[in-house]
Amino acid sequence: MSKKQKWISFAVFAVLICVFLVGSFIVKSPGEEETIQETMRNEVLHETAKISLFGIKDVNPGLISAFCVTGIITAFAVIVRIFVIPRFRYVPGKFQLLLEEAVGTFDRMAKGSSPHLNRFLGAYIFMAGAYIFIGTIFELFGFQAVTTSGMSVALPAPLSDINGAITMGCLSYLIILSGGITSNGLKGVGRTLKDFSLPISMSFRLFGALLSGALVTELVYYYVGLSYVLPVVVGVLFTLIHALIQAYVLTMLTALFYGEVSEKPAPKRKKIKASV
Amino acid sequence: MPLNIDWQQILLHLFNVTLLFAVLYFLLYSPIKKFMQKRSEHYLEMEREAERKLADADAVKKEQEEKQVRFDEEMAGVRSKIEAEARDSAEKTLADAKKEAEKILEANKANAQREKEKILQEASAQISEMAVEAAKKVVMESTSGAYDSFLDSAKGAKTDE
Repeated sequence: MSKKQKWISFAVFAVLICVFLVGSFIVKSPGEEETIQETMRNEVLHETAKISLFGIKDVNPGLISAFCVTGIITAFAVIVRIFVIPRFRYVPGKFQLLLEEAVGTFDRMAKGSSPHLNRFLGAYIFMAGAYIFIGTIFELFGFQAVTTSGMSVALPAPLSDINGAITMGCLSYLIILSGGITSNGLKGVGRTLKDFSLPISMSFRLFGALLSGALVTELVYYYVGLSYVLPVVVGVLFTLIHALIQAYVLTMLTALFYGEVSEKPAPKRKKIKASV
Repeated sequence: MPLNIDWQQILLHLFNVTLLFAVLYFLLYSPIKKFMQKRSEHYLEMEREAERKLADADAVKKEQEEKQVRFDEEMAGVRSKIEAEARDSAEKTLADAKKEAEKILEANKANAQREKEKILQEASAQISEMAVEAAKKVVMESTSGAYDSFLDSAKGAKTDE
């Protein structure tokens, strides 16, 4: 790019930024009609912002996000399965390497945490990691949906909905329980039930982490004055970082507990009576 | 329910996650893992093949070395045998040559002796002949002298008279 082209690009960006800045002051923010307390409460509880699910039931926006994320991932998986995987080579290209690394990371994590039983665990944590990561990044795009009250809301991360977080937490616990039963039968059930607080802690950890991200973003966007420059850090960087961290934490915890409960107990040593 | 927890929505989330699990497992996780496994098996097979070939090469090398050792030993045996034969042959030839030389020498010696004896005989014959001749001569000379002196003296005496 020549020096002249650089200057033209710079000027175009500067004009665009100025136009958007002026436009943001001219156009009235709809958020001003709602107090910050109401916005925060609505983010947590979704009492008023409900979306109709094909006219069957009014659901939280998080559930719609979950379906959207599943749809996106499914479309991606179908395209990859049809067009990319059959063209895989022994010496991988960049995209193949990315896919292999994604699968390989979770596979290695499963094998490392539970060397004796890991086939199902690897597949589960791959799914969980992909769902949490992509689901959290999903909120960055700000896809709009219309609520039952006719308001427009940006679709949040699926797991910032308490029901989504409870599902992931409890499902992970059930997977851990299944590992215990498969490996150790009733003993495995006992071992798993010993950590009875696990589903609650997992659910609320996910919910808290993702909700806090959503709340901070909402708080920043609520005030016009904070809507410049700051969202670049808060909106993008924080979301990316906590998407990675939450995906890693839940998958790692699931793999660790799975490995712990499915581990075969060491055979007891017979006591040898000392002959007098 | 507190916190807007809704069992129906939880079940819908569960349905969604299960669907996602099935999709990801069958479309991405399983095929990619199978491919990775196939590739690692391919490389393992290559490694095993290389090891097998290396072992074969080692065996061939060992066999060749053994053959070389055997060949060297055989060659050393053959060489020593040939050397011994050559030595024997040379000794025999030398002995034969010596014998031949001795024979020739003996023959020469005999010839020489014979020649010597012959020469001696001839020489002695000549000497004796010469001696006889000389004696004859001496005798003849002395006889003729005596005759001459006698004749001279006789002649002198006649003249005196």
